[in-house]
Amino acid sequence: MSDEIGNSETIESGGTAHAARWRLSLDSWAVLLALAAAALVKLHILNTVKW
Amino acid sequence: MSTSSVRPSSVDAGVASSLSSRAKSIEPLPLRLLRLVPGLLLLAAVGFGGKVIEQSIARYGKAHHLTLPNIEYVLWAILIGLVLANTVGLPKIFVAGVATYDFWLKVGIVLLGSRFLLGDVLRLGGISLGLVAIEITLALALMHGLGRAFKLKPKLTSLLAVGSAVCGVSAIIATQGAIDADEEESSTAIAAILALGALSLFTFPLIAHSLHLSDHAYGLWAGLAVDNTAEATAAGALYSDVAGRFAVLVKTTRNAMIGFVVLGYALYWSSRGQAQRVGNKARFLWQKFPRFVLGFLLISLLASLAVFTKPQLTALGNLSRWAFLLTFAGVGLRTNIRELGKQGWRPLAIGALGEVAIAAITLALVFGADRLFHV
Repeated sequence: MSDEIGNSETIESGGTAHAARWRLSLDSWAVLLALAAAALVKLHILNTVKW
Repeated sequence: MSTSSVRPSSVDAGVASSLSSRAKSIEPLPLRLLRLVPGLLLLAAVGFGGKVIEQSIARYGKAHHLTLPNIEYVLWAILIGLVLANTVGLPKIFVAGVATYDFWLKVGIVLLGSRFLLGDVLRLGGISLGLVAIEITLALALMHGLGRAFKLKPKLTSLLAVGSAVCGVSAIIATQGAIDADEEESSTAIAAILALGALSLFTFPLIAHSLHLSDHAYGLWAGLAVDNTAEATAAGALYSDVAGRFAVLVKTTRNAMIGFVVLGYALYWSSRGQAQRVGNKARFLWQKFPRFVLGFLLISLLASLAVFTKPQLTALGNLSRWAFLLTFAGVGLRTNIRELGKQGWRPLAIGALGEVAIAAITLALVFGADRLFHV
């Protein structure tokens, strides 16, 4: 839930610490998804969406 | 409520999500994504149900030559979600997918950047930045005064103050970690902020209509006074499309301030030896900075540079609306009235007192800004 910010900062121990460092927060995923959607619109792939 | 169903507790969901994300990180990605599908379908069904009700009422009114009030799909989606979550409860299978509503909120905000030219964002952002600074200062002072007067625990007061001054749940979660507050305190603060946010959805549009506020003024007010980003977006969209866009812009400016306020609290509590020391302050600010604000600015910049054609801008705006539709459905589905009431009346009463005062102060600010800048 929540507008959780900085959830990528979760401190993990041992072997997972390295993976955690490279894990993106939901916030960053949202930005990436939105940019991907914008790129698809630019490429006319999503231009058929009607509201 | 059947035993197989789980009411979506907004109170402990922050804690639950961090625990479940750790447990799920062991699961393979396709399985984790598959788990989201039922909840996502429910979000889409509830949101789309709201849209169908809105259009059906409009069609009925037109066919029978009746003037019916135009109630936005936002309210219907929230109401359907509220009724479902608080009567039959939310079966476990839907919980993970419904929890993604916050993700869709951010996707929607980033895409909404396409409907603002960067020049407008900077101009309006500049005006709102000034108002946000005043709002945050007054709200923090007010909540601390109330907390002291009603003898709330100091850290709970800090959490309530941050929640009502900056950006609701996200600010509380960020501050909880920074000042080493316990989970019970943050659950109580989150419950108070969410309960008051839900109330504001119904009261703000009514007050604004009775005062004949313009779309811009109302958007400014909702962005300044409603605490949680999802509720601020919904409260704005309930009034009008333009008000919704303005509310998001102002709320995003408020969200951008989160790092500074949390840093202030972290330094204060660590100086008293009751929280960990803050190392690199710039790194701390960057960690707490909401990344979607950058995404919003980037899309706005691309739109301003005419990277997108007019039909493409329309498509991006529509995608943003779809994302918000999922968000609004989630707002209703995750609000559990009984759970919110369990957190005790004192923080809720203090939060309510503070929120009413903040709403009144920000309304006065908006009237002033409206005159000064013709927002």
